Amino acid sequence: MMDQTTRDDLLKLFQSKLNQAMRFYLETCSRCGVCVEACHVYASMGQVKNISAYRHEIVRRIYKKYYKARGKVWPSVGEAKELSDMALEELYEAAYTCTGCRRCMVYCPHGIDTQMIMSIAKLLLVGAEAEPEILTMLADTSIEKGKSLDLFKENFLTGIKNLESKVVKKWKIDAGETAIPVDFKGADLLYVALAGAHSIVPAAVIFNAAKENWTLSYFEAVNFGAFVGDPTRTKLILDRIINEATRLGVKEVCICECGTAFRVMKQMADKQPFKVSSITEVHARYLREGRIKIDKSTLDDPVTYHDPCQLARNAGVIDEPRYILQHLTDDFRDMTSDVRYNWCCGGGGGLVALGDETLDFRMKSASVKVDQINETGAKILATACENCHTQLSDLNEHYEMGVDVRFLSSMIADALVQSA
Amino acid sequence: MSGEDIVVDKVMDLKGMPCPMPIVKMSKGIKDVEIGQVVEALTTDPGALADFPAWARTSGNEIVKTDQEGDVIKFYIMRKA
Ligand code: SF4
Ligand code: SF4
Repeated sequence: MMDQTTRDDLLKLFQSKLNQAMRFYLETCSRCGVCVEACHVYASMGQVKNISAYRHEIVRRIYKKYYKARGKVWPSVGEAKELSDMALEELYEAAYTCTGCRRCMVYCPHGIDTQMIMSIAKLLLVGAEAEPEILTMLADTSIEKGKSLDLFKENFLTGIKNLESKVVKKWKIDAGETAIPVDFKGADLLYVALAGAHSIVPAAVIFNAAKENWTLSYFEAVNFGAFVGDPTRTKLILDRIINEATRLGVKEVCICECGTAFRVMKQMADKQPFKVSSITEVHARYLREGRIKIDKSTLDDPVTYHDPCQLARNAGVIDEPRYILQHLTDDFRDMTSDVRYNWCCGGGGGLVALGDETLDFRMKSASVKVDQINETGAKILATACENCHTQLSDLNEHYEMGVDVRFLSSMIADALVQSA
Repeated sequence: MSGEDIVVDKVMDLKGMPCPMPIVKMSKGIKDVEIGQVVEALTTDPGALADFPAWARTSGNEIVKTDQEGDVIKFYIMRKA
């Protein structure tokens, strides 16, 4: 049973989240029901507990018990509820079946942000050490890398050297140039990738083709502190990249195809001496400025594009991927006429990182996404987020969709034209 | 300790996996061996090369040896925790 000290500590965490916006979200739901069909989990599985307003209610009832509503509006919220072990279990269920896609927010007449409300649930779980262990472990690994970089540098540089021939094979560089520069002071752009070669090689090929003055970060872009909803860890992970960018004096930090990494970094951008861009924005810019050319004839099949929620709905990168796709194909088939209403892939919020543990749920909760993709008749499914790519590949296999799931960046790299 | 002296109890091929699967699989896989036994993990991904030692430090396990064969890097990780 939860003791009083633990409860008090958790309530302090709850309190730390109660800014003006959060109080508004917690005090304003009018139970209009507009959000019922908005959540892909509910739309796919039909269980009431997955309606977004129901998720809010789990947090709201605890709020009602311990905090006074400031405004006059006090909706017909259910009974106030004590913060107990059972309440924590409900918070877990609500938070870790929500991908934080914020589709429901677009529907809600008050703009109630479920992801924000779920961030209270996630923080309480971290405080009670009841969060998914694996996410904290991943976050701590990232933090450790930041603390002891000198111990890991050599390994990383060896891995990078091994990749350089793959980069040069796709794009010839001039003698004396480095195919993948790392730690280069004087670079204009710092590229922050992920651990996998697939996140480095195509990007390097395109940077070299565009003659970008760039350098690769020692760190991975993904922020598991954000997935697990721990502001302290989120900041420590971010600081590694901010410090590196500041030390190198770059003008721009370019985040790889990872939606959450981009959104988290972008939120900090106005306080930094550098601009923050997603790699998709940078690629669109290269095309617009004529710095790269791509051959439209490389793709024979119809193409559709999945907008990663954290990149599109939640960070506004919508036109750029479409501009890129215009250069890649004459048969682009949009999934939706309004990207704000695009279905989530079902893998966000840390669910993909939880791997096999969440696979069954991820497959069942995203059947509306599968229908949306199938309706386009496209055979190539492009996206620009690692998390979405993994989830879409899992859906492709599970539902035997028969599409080819591709990263936009690798499609560009494969279609680059190098004049003799 | 040379590569030949190490008795490997489990081999894990983590090449080319999406983020963050190499570390997720590793942290689960190491639980399949007893404390004192060794997992051999194969990877080609530069980030994973730095991630494994960081993970070993935070999880209290020990990388007893690192080998390279062509592009493939092999970590020998002893379960300590
Ligand atoms: S944020 Fe997305 S997953 Fe969460 S309740 Fe809203 S629609 Fe559902
Ligand atoms: S749409 Fe907004 S106001 Fe209406 S029930 Fe859902 S959360 Fe409440």
